Amino acid sequence: MGAELAIKVADLSKSFGVVVAFENISLAIPRGRFVVLIGPSGCGKSTLLRNIADLVESSSGDIEVFGSSPGASRRHRRFSFVFQEATLLPWRTAWQNVALPLQVGGWPRLNRESRDPVQLLELVGLKGREGAYPWQLSGGQKQRVAIARALVTQPDILLMDEPFGALDEITRDSLNDELLKIWRQTGTTIVFVTHSLSEAAFLGQTIVVMGAHPGRIVKEINLDAKKPGNAIDRKSSACFEISADLRTVLEQAYSSGKRP
Amino acid sequence: MWLWPLVGFASLILLWQVVIVGFGVRPFIAPDPLTVGSAIWENRWLLWDNLWPTAAEAIGGFFIGNTVGFLLATLFVHSRRIRSLYFPIVVLFNTIPIIALSPVLILIFGLTMSSKVAIAAIICMFPTLVNTLRGLEAVSHSEMELMRILSASRPEVFFRLRLPRSLPFVFTALKIAATSSVIGAIVSEWVGAERGIGMLIIQSTFDYRTELLYASIAVSSALALSMFGLVTLLERYIVRWRDN
Repeated sequence: MGAELAIKVADLSKSFGVVVAFENISLAIPRGRFVVLIGPSGCGKSTLLRNIADLVESSSGDIEVFGSSPGASRRHRRFSFVFQEATLLPWRTAWQNVALPLQVGGWPRLNRESRDPVQLLELVGLKGREGAYPWQLSGGQKQRVAIARALVTQPDILLMDEPFGALDEITRDSLNDELLKIWRQTGTTIVFVTHSLSEAAFLGQTIVVMGAHPGRIVKEINLDAKKPGNAIDRKSSACFEISADLRTVLEQAYSSGKRP
Repeated sequence: MWLWPLVGFASLILLWQVVIVGFGVRPFIAPDPLTVGSAIWENRWLLWDNLWPTAAEAIGGFFIGNTVGFLLATLFVHSRRIRSLYFPIVVLFNTIPIIALSPVLILIFGLTMSSKVAIAAIICMFPTLVNTLRGLEAVSHSEMELMRILSASRPEVFFRLRLPRSLPFVFTALKIAATSSVIGAIVSEWVGAERGIGMLIIQSTFDYRTELLYASIAVSSALALSMFGLVTLLERYIVRWRDN
């Protein structure tokens, strides 16, 4: 793994008025890594992701995305964002939804190469559904379109905020498989927020466990030794073991916070 | 699918015919449907000649009123300041009864068509403004975040997101306007006009030509109905998507 950092968060704090989302968070994410943020609700994991994405501003501290500010990186489309809801525009077909990022925000002026929406839809398993409207697609299929849309600009970073949180387990598992496949193919850095232990154990090279009240990083778990090449059978005992360890850390995170 | 409404309509016409003939109601009080039908045929050129000015006023008002309503909504959605300055005034203006506004506009424009177009436009404007405003604001939080992630400009957010989002709302307003613009044109003709279905309605009432009154009512209703039908067809053609 090279030394180049995709994301560097230094001493970051965010509060909404008197409510503290998180305090003094520092995090370094090397390029190409698959990082999962997990924690109880209220730990600020989504807010942290939104800070990196320049959707909200931090109260203090510093974020660098490939050495520049989140705003500059956003304007240069260094990252894409996948929301919990697919957020597809219902008047656009799957193909048109995937092509949206190329039609706004001055994409042509960036002079970067885009990916072919048809190929991307094939990559996410929706070959032949280019002309389908969102209401003709299932929840899992919609989220696949959203992932294709995120990839069309060939971003360096994919920020994902509980993208499969609303899907059933089996659909979620198959989308996790596909996401790992895409990650291997594209080499994109991925920051993935979830509150599912098994999803975190299966996907992450690094798992950042956060605690709440106030939001903070409890532990950073490196799984390189336990999951060589970030490949693991989700039914293997090794995978269950990671899950169980993660559960222990999370339970500590729950009890150590100033819980109501 | 549209067979049942037709059967319902026919049954009421039949009931009307039976009541008038059965109770021996005199024709100048209320004519039976057959008499009205033949009155429409006999007066077809009179009705035709008076339909055009009313139709022109209604359609002119429809276009002007909806355009102004739409543009105001666009302005209000982009500037909180302008919205807080003028939206209450628009609401206040809308509380003035349209029939009271008619003489005012006739004093300004005279007995021309302009005063009728203005009334039809005013009656259309408010529902379109309110509905379009709601439609332009019917964007979700994550849709706005998506647009921000994509660094979309304000015009891009408007044309790619807000405008398509608003279309179902706009068409709801246009359907209201399709019928109310005809009401506006006719009401303003009552206050003072030389031609038009509204004038014909007033004139035939004064002359006790009840069958001509009913014929005029039928024609004005047909005008509103065809405008409504056109808007509905246009909506079906343009808004083909369904919300997820």
